[in-house]
Amino acid sequence: MQALRLARQSTTAVLRTTTPGQRKCLATATVNHTHLGATTSSSASSSSGRIAPIPISNIEAQWEKFSSDEKISVHEQLEVLQQKDWKELSLDEKKAAYYVAFGPHGPRAPTSKPGDGLKIFLSTVALIGAAGVVFLGVLSISPPPPKTMTKEWQEASNERAKEMKLNPITGITSEGYQGKGYVQSK
Amino acid sequence: MRANILNTVLRTAARPAVAARTARTTPILARYASGHAQESFESFSDRYVKFFQNAEDLFEVQRGLNNCFAHDLVPSPAVVEAAVRAARRVNDYATAVRIFEGVKEKVENKSQYEAYVQELKPLQEELGLSLKDELYPSS
Repeated sequence: MQALRLARQSTTAVLRTTTPGQRKCLATATVNHTHLGATTSSSASSSSGRIAPIPISNIEAQWEKFSSDEKISVHEQLEVLQQKDWKELSLDEKKAAYYVAFGPHGPRAPTSKPGDGLKIFLSTVALIGAAGVVFLGVLSISPPPPKTMTKEWQEASNERAKEMKLNPITGITSEGYQGKGYVQSK
Repeated sequence: MRANILNTVLRTAARPAVAARTARTTPILARYASGHAQESFESFSDRYVKFFQNAEDLFEVQRGLNNCFAHDLVPSPAVVEAAVRAARRVNDYATAVRIFEGVKEKVENKSQYEAYVQELKPLQEELGLSLKDELYPSS
């Protein structure tokens, strides 16, 4: 974001190079846009294939839907507009000029929509919850732990180990032994 | 044969000179760890003011802006003014607005940006430039 981009230059260049091929499908392209009904008929009937001027107020809402021909036409309009004294430009014209060049479309489109963070958070919570449900379900149908996993059994094991003098150097029967021996269950 | 002799003569003639030159130019105890001379902020500003004054088309202005804003410093108001005037010369309103956005990104805090805007207020009024905050107050 901090570096200024050359997007406008490159898009206009690309659009201009693709123009001849796309002018041919002008009629079909503009028919899809019913909100341009008045301009569609005039541009389709004109032999040169030029599009009638597109109103540039509120261009933010329409820009994504424009065909490349319409975008070229807007670019050309704005180019002429920006040659005027900038004090004469209306707010709409200024906004259109800025939006077309640096607005959040094309390479500058934001990668996430508003509300995406909440959606991601909720689905993560749901997944963790599902994992918990699976864990508890498996736990409820699993057999009980073996009899050796009780405190009594393990204390008895300790006594037996002391009786047998197991590991007298470092282990359970060594001098001053502080550990728990075999006890691991509570 | 003659070429050979000439070659030897030239070589012997050249050798002391080379040796002398290296001895003279080798600096004592000068170790350039990071090589290059540092450009001062003033000369940076001068360089870019001149660049923007001479920029002829939109591509060049935007290329200069990319380079200028890629350094670890905020371009001085003189550079910003020259850039905005360059944008005016190439008739690109959007780039002029974008320059101020770039300044906003580069400064450390809001008050610095306000200071830039205050400093360049006369320029804005002269050219009829509204900033992005004025175009899109909500965002």
